[in-house]
Amino acid sequence: MTLWGALAGGFVGTIVLTSSLRFAQETGLTRMDIPLMLGTVFTASRSRANVIGYAAHFVNGLLFALVYYLVFRAVGHAGWLFGLGLGAVHALFAGGALVGVLLPAVHPRMGTPWSDAEETPLLEPPGFMLENYGSRTAIGNLAAHMLYGAIVGGFTGHLSSFF
Amino acid sequence: MERVDGYAAIRDYAVIGDGRTCALVARDGAIDWLCLPNVDSPSTFARLLDAERGGAFELSPVEPFEEEQAYLDGTNVLQTTFRTASGTVRVTDAMTLTDVVSIAPMREIVRKVEALEGRVRIRWQVTPRFGYGRRETKVGRRSGRPFLFAGRDAIAVSAWDAGTIGLGDRAVGSEFELDPGQDALISLAATYKEPAVLSGRDDVERRLNRTERFWKEWGGRARYDGRWREQVVRSALMLKLLVFAPSGAIVAAPTASLPEAYGGGRNWDYRYSWIRDASWTLDAMLRLGYRDEATAFFWWIMHASRITQPRLQILYRVDGGLHAKETTLAEFPGYRGSRPVRVGNGAVDQVQLDVYGSLFEAASLYVEAGCHIDPDTGKELGKIADYVAKHWRDKDSGIWEVRSDPAHFTQSKALCWVALDRAARLAERGILPDRRDRWRAEADAIRAFVEEEGWDEELRSYVRASDQPEVDGCLLTMALLDYPPSSGERMQLLIDAVRRELADGPLVYRYRGDDGVEGKEGAFLTCSFWLADALARAGRVDEAIELMDELLGLGNHVGLFPEEMDPATRDYLGNYPQGLTHLALVNAAISITDAER
Repeated sequence: MTLWGALAGGFVGTIVLTSSLRFAQETGLTRMDIPLMLGTVFTASRSRANVIGYAAHFVNGLLFALVYYLVFRAVGHAGWLFGLGLGAVHALFAGGALVGVLLPAVHPRMGTPWSDAEETPLLEPPGFMLENYGSRTAIGNLAAHMLYGAIVGGFTGHLSSFF
Repeated sequence: MERVDGYAAIRDYAVIGDGRTCALVARDGAIDWLCLPNVDSPSTFARLLDAERGGAFELSPVEPFEEEQAYLDGTNVLQTTFRTASGTVRVTDAMTLTDVVSIAPMREIVRKVEALEGRVRIRWQVTPRFGYGRRETKVGRRSGRPFLFAGRDAIAVSAWDAGTIGLGDRAVGSEFELDPGQDALISLAATYKEPAVLSGRDDVERRLNRTERFWKEWGGRARYDGRWREQVVRSALMLKLLVFAPSGAIVAAPTASLPEAYGGGRNWDYRYSWIRDASWTLDAMLRLGYRDEATAFFWWIMHASRITQPRLQILYRVDGGLHAKETTLAEFPGYRGSRPVRVGNGAVDQVQLDVYGSLFEAASLYVEAGCHIDPDTGKELGKIADYVAKHWRDKDSGIWEVRSDPAHFTQSKALCWVALDRAARLAERGILPDRRDRWRAEADAIRAFVEEEGWDEELRSYVRASDQPEVDGCLLTMALLDYPPSSGERMQLLIDAVRRELADGPLVYRYRGDDGVEGKEGAFLTCSFWLADALARAGRVDEAIELMDELLGLGNHVGLFPEEMDPATRDYLGNYPQGLTHLALVNAAISITDAER
């Protein structure tokens, strides 16, 4: 179990996570667009926001891999199944608090349930478990994060011999 | 003001709001409609639909009175002055905006009572009936303040110099008198799934003053200096109340199931955002200089429709949700016995091809105003244009959401032409992918269809549908959206036909034929304002001004309009206040003013 294994897992996991959410968006399962949501923190230009958002999401993916690694170390075990479980917890945290509550609170262009007539936000708030972005968003979010967790867990547990 | 069986006339209401929900305040001081926490949430006060059990916030003199109600100049803060034999008091009502100085309640209604002369005894009572009256209201005190609650909903009642508050059966209230120069303050702080915020009097007063300042500043920014500025600014302020600030969506009206005929069944829920309103909204907001609101609405449309694209749903929930399942509230008798009381809107599943024209006109206006459409959005719009090119030959339910069989509605086809024309123009500017040849070819085919199948030589007018040879008020939108007739004469003839076939004085009916729903309806005010707009665009400016003056004279005491009016009685009908009516009013006023110059 090494840090590099976790980071490699985080890199691959984030690619899979981002791609699967993009796939869900393109196939009409959800309106959630993580790169757009993150990127518009910094710019109102959708094109630039997408570029910045993808980069920010990758950084987040690596940072979360570090958190996963700390948990694996604390427990003394890493593996895809454990990662799968952590991914589920991660999804609950992301949908319930991180993206659902914290992001709207600091996002300069996203509405909140408290936005009033004085504000004209450009992005609607995600709502609890991201429900405002489509009723199937929560399931898609859960599945994508479990996939991410499994990859990070698998890489951390099984690629340690390479590093 | 008189009530019939407990119901105030629809025209006797003014509206207050905060960008999240709205309340209707009757001239006799009763707040009879309020949904919490959001405009599309279940009702908390619904005396509008059930005079006995719907719930209200009543506040008025104990003795007989005469009242006068008006908005504080250029704001959405309402003032009602009561004159009695004992004296005069003034009540100021507002839904306050949030405050950064202290924690603000999730939603708040503030009522300030000022004694102007004499001593007037005032009685007030709050009787919320949460969840469309289906959940039992409980009463209690927390931190010394009265609370009314049911499940996750709660209202904290704070009052200063407004009498000793008594807790009653599912109600709280009091009576009090003030000496001239004194004032009392009552705050309803509502919450949902959160702890209630208990404010001090200074905080409430400050929020009220801040709210008034905000509205004054916002209304003052309206960029219109024509002959009807007061009415246009009032419309802008009302439309701003319909904007659901958390998402940028705009609801059609803040009410549900106000009838299109007393005792009739044409009662619909308008607390949704219609794509159809997109072009009118952007046109009005941009022409008035409210660019932020226009931008937010355009972003919201493109975001909300993401799941269904390239197909557009005709309406969306204000939070972007797709579902608006229509149900009836059997426990409500309905406004003056108008059943059924519907919430949700079954039209959500209809195909209405006109929405594509509205979207592309909105995109075109957005770009013309100097706003930027990024390449990703351009690609999305390109796919939608392809969808229109493929599907314009389909039958649909038309702009009026008729519940009769789908048909080839002429206006729907014309708006498909608008969609493809604007798409091609945007592609020409490099904003959409360049598939102009296909879009232009299909646009030409649509125009040939409209000119051939949508025109009736005997009637000398465009007609409702290829197999329904009658005039329809929505056809006027062809003139408003620059649809090019095969001869210039056709638009003039259409205007004449609308006046001849559908007008009753200044009021214009939508159509006279069948729409698959039983019962009658009133004249449709939007069509009246569209007629004024079309007259101005056709160069008949004097006629347009005359009609506009007549129409504006039909506004109520605070300058608000409903969806429909009864031409005989001049009763207001349908959901109120109606966004589409006020959008048409603003656009007509600006068009006429432009034509005059």
